[in-house]
Amino acid sequence: MILEVKNMKKSFPEAGEVLKNINLSVDKGDVIAVIGPSGGGKTTMLRCLNFLETPDSGTMIFDGAEYDLRNISKSDIYSIRKHTGFVFQNYNLFLNKTAIQNVAEGLVTARKMNKKEARAKAELALTNVGLADRLDYYPNRLSGGQQQRVAIARAMATDPEIIYFDEPTSALDPELTREVLDVIRRLAGEGRTMVVVTHELEFARNIATRIAFMEDGEIVTSSDPETFFSSVNNERIEQFLSNIKIK
Amino acid sequence: MTERVARILIESFPKILLPGLKMTVPLTVLAFSLGLVIAVITALIQYVKIPVIKEISRFYIWVVRGTPLLVQLFVVFYGLPSIGIITQPFPTAVLVFAINEGAYAAETIRAALESIPHGQLEAGLCVGMTRAQTMRRIILPQAFRTAVPTLGNELISMVKDTSLAANITVMEMFMTTQRINSVYYEPLALYMEVGLIYLIFSTVLTKLQRLAEKKLASYGRR
Repeated sequence: MILEVKNMKKSFPEAGEVLKNINLSVDKGDVIAVIGPSGGGKTTMLRCLNFLETPDSGTMIFDGAEYDLRNISKSDIYSIRKHTGFVFQNYNLFLNKTAIQNVAEGLVTARKMNKKEARAKAELALTNVGLADRLDYYPNRLSGGQQQRVAIARAMATDPEIIYFDEPTSALDPELTREVLDVIRRLAGEGRTMVVVTHELEFARNIATRIAFMEDGEIVTSSDPETFFSSVNNERIEQFLSNIKIK
Repeated sequence: MTERVARILIESFPKILLPGLKMTVPLTVLAFSLGLVIAVITALIQYVKIPVIKEISRFYIWVVRGTPLLVQLFVVFYGLPSIGIITQPFPTAVLVFAINEGAYAAETIRAALESIPHGQLEAGLCVGMTRAQTMRRIILPQAFRTAVPTLGNELISMVKDTSLAANITVMEMFMTTQRINSVYYEPLALYMEVGLIYLIFSTVLTKLQRLAEKKLASYGRR
């Protein structure tokens, strides 16, 4: 087991209780697709897992160590983040850095790797996402799909135990969506451990080892894709699925 | 133009330019650099919202921007001695100009910081960097690029404002010109001459500003 979260809660002053009681466990090699209607807390959950939002309470076991989320220390947060990767919906590339610098930054600045080694590693990561010919491009000269692939390379380059994807294709045109999904699919095939918040149901079905359906701040069901899509007997999930199909 | 005026102008030119190079330029460079340091600190305090200190920095900006530079110079140089604090003209000028510039540039830099998409800070955290590292490596360099045109304007303003230091007996270009004028009494010619020298200084700075903008623009507009 790489990650286990128990009873994680999060409220915002304006929005109220966004995460009611999250229980999630992730094994090595798991690809967990988190789906569900908007406003159900998917993104908040992912952000809490990497402490971009501070959870109110709960416990987390990461890499064998247990943390009380109510009073986790700053240094624990930094050390957990060093073993995770995060891919944002809007890429969030460093605009003052080229593609290769974006990928190398976390290695050089955060992990004190020497520059040459970091560059080699960054180049490999970018080659793996099909961008070997764009190493020295600044983000504003790359398409959305290319930017997101740089972001994936950046998240991968640090060899994380687990990678979180927050709706990685929601900001992309359909034709660019495919190139990004292909990259994620290949990572899944390599046995990387991932938690992917997505609206791409077909994609979720194809790559996920488990599908977590989230609504109103809770994970309603969590099962393997076949079970999830075939024997749906939950009214809410059926409604959600049919809404998406109509679209 | 009479021959006399021409002769006075030619003779006075190096006499005015020299204190310009020896006083106006160092005063500007020192005060602007110190002002930038104050500005970055003040802007960061507000950007990361440190309680109490943030209020103090707002108060500082409010007072400094709301009062004339000349009044600030007089309060420090002529006012403070009456409570036993006596300061030298040049250091006083550097300090007051720096405090003044700090307040203006703090607003410039704060606005620039806030214009940088926040997601990059989160991305920095997610690749394992600390907040401080992300600020230093990612956010501040971009904020500076955004701020350069405005900071350039402020620098040019400051070159001209240094003439106010004449009022607290700093022997800079303007005061030197006043002295020369008191001997020859050619106010039109001499004050136009010193104006021209300020113009030359400003022009050089404008060119440098353009150069800096060009260099910093290498990663282009978003």
